[in-house]
Amino acid sequence: MQIDLQERDDVLLRRSAKGDEEAFAEIYRRYQAPLYRFALRMTGSPWAAEEVVQDIFMTLVREPKKYDPQRGALGAFLYGIARNRVMKRLERAPRELPLENTDGTCRANSFATDPMTPAHWAELRERREQVRSAVLELPIEFREAIVLCELEEMSYEEAAHALGCPVGTIRSRLHRGRALLLAKLEMLREVPKRANAGH
Amino acid sequence: MTCEEFAMARLELGPSAEDLQSAAREHLRNCPHCAALHENWQTLRDDLHALGVASRELEAPSRVEMRLLQQFRIKHGTMRTRRTAAVAAWALAAAAVLVGGISWINWRDREALKAPGRHNILTVTETAPSNSTPAEALAPAAMELGDVVVAANSGDFALLPGVIPPSLEDATVVHVQMQRSALTVLGLTVNEEHGADWIQVDLLVGDDGVPQAVRLPQSMD
Repeated sequence: MQIDLQERDDVLLRRSAKGDEEAFAEIYRRYQAPLYRFALRMTGSPWAAEEVVQDIFMTLVREPKKYDPQRGALGAFLYGIARNRVMKRLERAPRELPLENTDGTCRANSFATDPMTPAHWAELRERREQVRSAVLELPIEFREAIVLCELEEMSYEEAAHALGCPVGTIRSRLHRGRALLLAKLEMLREVPKRANAGH
Repeated sequence: MTCEEFAMARLELGPSAEDLQSAAREHLRNCPHCAALHENWQTLRDDLHALGVASRELEAPSRVEMRLLQQFRIKHGTMRTRRTAAVAAWALAAAAVLVGGISWINWRDREALKAPGRHNILTVTETAPSNSTPAEALAPAAMELGDVVVAANSGDFALLPGVIPPSLEDATVVHVQMQRSALTVLGLTVNEEHGADWIQVDLLVGDDGVPQAVRLPQSMD
């Protein structure tokens, strides 16, 4: 069966509930990437993110009627499930830091395409790692706001929709999250300076 | 603008907040502390943006989609199998009921054929006047019965005088109420004292509507 690119999510979901595999695959393709990134940035673990994404879509397979189009967009519903799964995972294993770089930014061919020197590249990478760690250390509610608004570049309204809270809450969480992040990163950056000053 | 106001406003700076932006810029020029903070904040924004851009293309590994589609097929395959099984079960039950019903009807018919005149005798409460001929008296009743076919054996029936043994294939058993004296017109002997009594007799009527044989009640034998 052909899928119209503009076909509405609820129509696709209805078709999926009746056993239309193409419709289900289309829903998956529309939402898997942002949900995966959200879960990855919230948990810091690609395995956890993979499981979260699988859980989200298994909910759609098993209980498609859980989603009520009158209560909001499918994306917000899926983010809601993602949040619940992430929270449960973080409660179970509060710190699950991966051993390797998990966001795919460390690629061998980066050296080839990057005009910067290896030293500069390493510095950038180190800074990125610091930021990622700092984000992962934020309290969950601030982390969510930072991940959605800063990393996913969602508008406040979109983030509020996804997290199921008022726009004002998003603003204040973002404000507080940025301040915490700034404090953490400044502290991290101060350490080498102080270390150098000691010599 | 105070430092607190600047701290609150700097995170909300956008193209629409023109007044706020100019006030913040003014404050930045005059306050080195806030200028340093703002610089840090810009660095953080850049870092976050870089982190976001670096991982923008990330998506779930293809094995997740494969696993999900497999689960989807299993779930809907099971549902389809269950639905088919349910339909088949109902169809089987309906067929069994139908076969049972047909068998019972056949059995009942066979039983009816074995017991002559038991099921196909229809009661006719028609008064036969004593002065009418047997054919006149009994033909209307036989006509009303239509084409009830009896393949009964005529063991209990007594052939009426002058009648050739009939073919039973098209004969009909008619249950008739008549005055006892009317039996005389059929050629039977009747006690005159009880001639006015109403009795019930079974007549074996041929396909021409003419009575061929008679069966009297036990008491009359």
